[in-house]
Amino acid sequence: MKKLKSMFKIHRIFIAQEFKRMMEYKGDFIVGIIGFLMIQMSNLLFLWIIFSQIPNLLGWTVNEVVFIYGFSLIPKGIDHFFFDNLWAIGHFTVRKGDFDKYLTRPVNTLFHVLVEKIQIDALGEILTGIALVCITIPKLGANLNIFRILIMIVLIPFITLIYTGIKTITASIAFWTKRSGNIIYMFYMVNDFAKYPATIYNRFVQNIITYIIPFALTSYYPALFILRGENSLFNLGLPVLAAVVLMGFGILVWHKGIRAYESAGS
Amino acid sequence: MKRKLKIYLPFINAGIQEVATYRVNWIFYMLGNALACFVSYFIWKAVYSSGGTDTMNGFTMSQMVVYIVLMFLTSTIIASDGAWVVGEEIRDGSIAMRLIKPVSYNATFLFQELGNKLPTEFALAIPMIFAVEVIRTTMSGEIQFSILGLLLYILSCIIAYLINFYFNICFGFIAFAIKYLWGANMMKNCIIGFLSGTVIPLAFLPDALEKLFLFLPFASLNYTPIMIYMGKYTGTELLYYLGLQIFWAFFFFALSKALWKAAVKRLSVQGG
Repeated sequence: MKKLKSMFKIHRIFIAQEFKRMMEYKGDFIVGIIGFLMIQMSNLLFLWIIFSQIPNLLGWTVNEVVFIYGFSLIPKGIDHFFFDNLWAIGHFTVRKGDFDKYLTRPVNTLFHVLVEKIQIDALGEILTGIALVCITIPKLGANLNIFRILIMIVLIPFITLIYTGIKTITASIAFWTKRSGNIIYMFYMVNDFAKYPATIYNRFVQNIITYIIPFALTSYYPALFILRGENSLFNLGLPVLAAVVLMGFGILVWHKGIRAYESAGS
Repeated sequence: MKRKLKIYLPFINAGIQEVATYRVNWIFYMLGNALACFVSYFIWKAVYSSGGTDTMNGFTMSQMVVYIVLMFLTSTIIASDGAWVVGEEIRDGSIAMRLIKPVSYNATFLFQELGNKLPTEFALAIPMIFAVEVIRTTMSGEIQFSILGLLLYILSCIIAYLINFYFNICFGFIAFAIKYLWGANMMKNCIIGFLSGTVIPLAFLPDALEKLFLFLPFASLNYTPIMIYMGKYTGTELLYYLGLQIFWAFFFFALSKALWKAAVKRLSVQGG
């Protein structure tokens, strides 16, 4: 318990430090947030143009598709906001030998890496996601009750852990190969599949994004429950299970990786 | 000419060696981008089967598949990261090392990048073009390959690469003023993605927007080469778009020179 308290304290100190840094480069973070906002706008424009040509997408209405898209942005954005530092591990921290500094500190390395930085750019994703969900919810029909919305909110931290878990696993590969940035990138591109209802894909892709690289669990399945109240055990249980398994496996691989880590660079 | 080639050949060589070092990394990067193509494929397939028509804005489903594959290939061929290099070199001062050498600043980048790209481009282009032809032939039932189309596509890609290269150099100088290259670059990619038809073929936009975007330099990057390969531009239209590409290439070439002159005047490097 005492340890947990001290961890929170460390986290607070790191975040305060980050805010100081950000205040110094205000322009940077405005540029970053606008950049991420623009990416979302471009995706929405794409959806809007497509839906101006067709009545629905294989039975999905524009509001449902936008809801799934918006919902997928929230956990993704939260992971991006808090745990973006894992990208740096994969891209250059290990390769340049800078990882040594974490080993010399009296806190758990993974915890240290996770809390060290926050990525304010992610607000562009989180805000768009929240806005889209709020705009589409009233249009989705009356069978959407408070209970389901509460479940949705409870689910968000678990879904965030799916992202963090996958990122921890792929970043850890750098301990063996010195560099895994593009492996993380590849997994992130799989995440593109999560933007749309999974029924537009064929069986093979559906299985992959459900059971192997489970990004469909981050938006499509929870949305199925929220929108239609379908199959709650599967649609809610699987994301939670995946979050626990992936994060657990991530922690395991990370610590195995640290034992294999040999300092690099100069 | 021969003397020039001798000067810049080592830069090509350095580029080739650079890419050989990070080959595995490159493969994963490409796999990631290929996945994005699959997402596009599925979404368009769903759109076409929901739309109930065979042709949308002049594109059939098989043409859309060809468009997606060609977009992947063309984007890779014309990719240029001059903006990063310029920004980084000004920041860390290594630009000074380029200034003291009797070679053109832009040209050294150009040749280094060519070395970087050539091996990977051949490894990618040949199987991709083959795949496009197989898709086209099986989906439409007739052979549509034209050697002239391919040659014009290659020519158009080369011009497009030069536009992109000089545009990125210009952007690098400007982005340096913004300081946050990552954010600025993201905005740039996002805007270009839309204006160049990467996100959605320009033919799907409202008429007035389509006309405007076709004239802007960004359509010259991806859209023009692809339309040429697909045989959508013929006769005077073809000449017009190739001419427009050449115009934009010269425009950004001249602009990059002007910015370079202005930047060198203001440049101060501390340490080395």
